[in-house]
Amino acid sequence: MKRENEFAVGIVVIAALALVVVGALWLSGAHLGKAEATYTARFRTVGGLGVGSPVVLRGVRVGRIEAIRLAPGNWVEADLKIYAGVTIPEKPAVIAASASLFGEWAATLTSSEPPPADPNIRQDLAAAQAAGGGKWPGATLPDIGQLTAQASRIATDIGTVAARVQTAFDSQAVSDLRRSIRDFGLIADRLVQVTNEQADVIGNVGSNLRRGSEVLADAAGDLHATLGRVDSATNQGQLATILNNTAAVSTDLRTASQDLRSLMGAANRNQESLVRVLVAADTVLSRIANRSGTLGLLVADSTLYRESALTMIQLRQLLSDIQANPRKYFTFSVF
Amino acid sequence: MIQAIGRRAVTAVEAVGQVGHFFQDMVRALPDVRTWVGPAIVQMRRVGVDSLPVALFIAAFTGVVLALQASYTFTGAVPLYFVGTLVGKTMMLELGPVLAGLALAGRVGASMAAELGTMKVTEQVDALETLAYDPYAYLVVPRVIAGTLMFPIIVAFAMATGIVTGWLTSLALLDLSTNDFLKGLKLFYVFKDIWFGLFKSATFGFTITLVGCIVGLDTRGGAQGVGRATTHAVVYSAILILVLDAFWAVVLL
Repeated sequence: MKRENEFAVGIVVIAALALVVVGALWLSGAHLGKAEATYTARFRTVGGLGVGSPVVLRGVRVGRIEAIRLAPGNWVEADLKIYAGVTIPEKPAVIAASASLFGEWAATLTSSEPPPADPNIRQDLAAAQAAGGGKWPGATLPDIGQLTAQASRIATDIGTVAARVQTAFDSQAVSDLRRSIRDFGLIADRLVQVTNEQADVIGNVGSNLRRGSEVLADAAGDLHATLGRVDSATNQGQLATILNNTAAVSTDLRTASQDLRSLMGAANRNQESLVRVLVAADTVLSRIANRSGTLGLLVADSTLYRESALTMIQLRQLLSDIQANPRKYFTFSVF
Repeated sequence: MIQAIGRRAVTAVEAVGQVGHFFQDMVRALPDVRTWVGPAIVQMRRVGVDSLPVALFIAAFTGVVLALQASYTFTGAVPLYFVGTLVGKTMMLELGPVLAGLALAGRVGASMAAELGTMKVTEQVDALETLAYDPYAYLVVPRVIAGTLMFPIIVAFAMATGIVTGWLTSLALLDLSTNDFLKGLKLFYVFKDIWFGLFKSATFGFTITLVGCIVGLDTRGGAQGVGRATTHAVVYSAILILVLDAFWAVVLL
């Protein structure tokens, strides 16, 4: 009986110990008997990353977080245990991020070449890389708590705005709004009426436009025909001839203009002589008017005119006589 | 009324003193290994091995209920693989140790209180002393050591059983794949989950057996006293288990 008790107790104890050890190792994801490599990554903060969190490479679990500790220079260092046979990226970087909305975090193994698009991540990785020490650079994405806190702040702001809107829309405001809506309805009715009237006007304008366009079309046709005729009239060099003639006329006009300009210059130059002539003429006319001088006397005294006329007649008779009887008045001899 | 309050206060202080004396006598009996090691094996068989079916039965149905209630709660809001998380965490941290402790408080604590109470009222304990046996080394230490050592083992089996039945329930009734269940089970697992549950269960075993022995050896008044002692042992053990559960949750978590 004693040996039986000891055997039963021993079996149960051994089985329980085996169960606990195997279960704990299995649940923690330990890879017994397989070589694992440990690397250290440096973060400013690890967020929700904890010991045992998965390390994933392109979405595939390739290890786990072995330890997390504070490090000098306000850094946090995390030891990553990577399974054997995993090819590490050439320039590895670690990004800690929430793996789901329910608090699971994972360390994503990635390459720092090319750098990530997110400027904050890029900055964190560069800072961790610059710290040196051969440790992988790490960066942390904001967790869902921070995002929800931001959303909560936005919701609070919206609530505040909504409260203010509610305050602004008291009964008086609602009444004013209702009246405004009613007025707006009236305005809309009038607008409809005006629109209908304008539509009629626009219809008339459209008709006129249509008629105008028809007229324009006819005119265009006529113009086209005219241009056709012009084209036929000028297709044998007539237009060139006309233009040449016009050019010649223009040249002649230019010449005439030059002549006129010369004439005007001469006139300007003779203006003084003309003035003197006019003065002299004026003097002469004045003397004639004053009945002084020969011409004045001739004008004033008709006797002298008659005598002169008579003299002229006699002279003409004399000339006629001379022409008729030259020998009477002229004798030519050589010797 | 004042007199009643005073009497109760004095009784409480006396009880504390008796427990202190009891504890002192038990510690003094610990070096007498040859006396308690043989009975300890017997008690380990009775407390541990023989109690396994009850503990596993309770744990099995607890795992089933946990999986179903978790899926009922999570439907439409939380991914179903969290059933594995809830079953694992709950069985390891809370329900495994506490339910096994409560069950064994009824089975083991009552049994010890009745056995020792009977021995007390029939003056067998006095006979042991007459034969120069230390009743603490022969009766108390083996039971307390057996309870302290075997309770974590029972709870370890209970944890595994609860998780396995939760997994089977998830497969059969919740349309949850094994991979998903294991994903949830491993998701937030830390080794502390296991050792916290086992350590807690060790304290439960120590408390249950200690209470059983104290109450049993303090039995007076014949068969009626034995019955009263049995009841007290179960009630005190259950209360102390819950108090200890909260205490360790505050201290260790």
